[in-house]
Amino acid sequence: MDGCTDGVSGAASLDPVARLDDVGEAERFERLTMPLLGDVARFARSLTRDVARADDLVQETYLQALRGWRTFRPDADPKRWLFTVCHHAFLRTSRREAHYVDAPEDDPELESLATASAHYAAQQSGAAAAAERMDLGPAIARALDVLQPHYRVAVVLVDVEGQTYEEAAEVLGVAVGTVRSRLFRGRRLLQDLLLEYACDAGFHSARPSPISPAMHGLTPAARTS
Amino acid sequence: MTPDQATPPAIAPIDCETAVRRLWDYLDGRLPAVSREEVEAHLASCALCAPHFTFAREMQTALAAAAPAADDADAPLRARVRDALRRHVTTNLAADPGDTDEW
Repeated sequence: MDGCTDGVSGAASLDPVARLDDVGEAERFERLTMPLLGDVARFARSLTRDVARADDLVQETYLQALRGWRTFRPDADPKRWLFTVCHHAFLRTSRREAHYVDAPEDDPELESLATASAHYAAQQSGAAAAAERMDLGPAIARALDVLQPHYRVAVVLVDVEGQTYEEAAEVLGVAVGTVRSRLFRGRRLLQDLLLEYACDAGFHSARPSPISPAMHGLTPAARTS
Repeated sequence: MTPDQATPPAIAPIDCETAVRRLWDYLDGRLPAVSREEVEAHLASCALCAPHFTFAREMQTALAAAAPAADDADAPLRARVRDALRRHVTTNLAADPGDTDEW
């Protein structure tokens, strides 16, 4: 790190070889990880939804990562590693503050059905057409803010950060099936919110309602919040 | 067709419910080839299902675009993190090598 050795010479009681090795390792750590700070900051903000808490989380992430640096495998993905450290730190803080509630297991295929059912109902009411005229960017950001953390982080990792299911499972420390169920539920909830925003934006017909089983050949899933 | 050219398995027509159950796996590219082709054949002929998939795909596109490139807005945070790392190095160089947090 730039200027780091300035502090080393003042620590006269330390083994010089060990100090240089640690300083060299810290410099290697920084070269590898600092270019990823923007990605980590974005991920942290998606977890905390608060910029100040996110900045604290980013700092804690980098400190934790530096402490565990010697366990980092050279062939590992540093971005995924930092995301894992970040998420772990977030969980530790959230559970200590009693903010975090574990997600129930959802059925992914039922979520796919519910997604299509809701969209079909929105087509009938005209909300789908209104959603198609909406600028999805700001609406997506607003909707992500509302999602519960375990659904939001699954959507952020896979759909925003482009991680695979397996990579997201590694970051979150859960099974791939759990990622899949949270992801599908999160996407369905996002769609529901987008259609609701389309209604709020000025479409004045009736809000989307569950369709009957006879329509469209779909089995409506129970809608839970 | 030469003898060593395998005949691909014929795809079977699927109903709307089957197609929709495969919605996210299809959009995520996680379906086997035959299942994917069955969905595509269904979408090509079903005016009811195609809009569901289109809207879902547009939502995924908007999500992917929600990751902006890093810019100078992170500069203060970058400086803060660098300072914290340097303080850690200069005050913990004598730390027990085993003193690492498990994470």
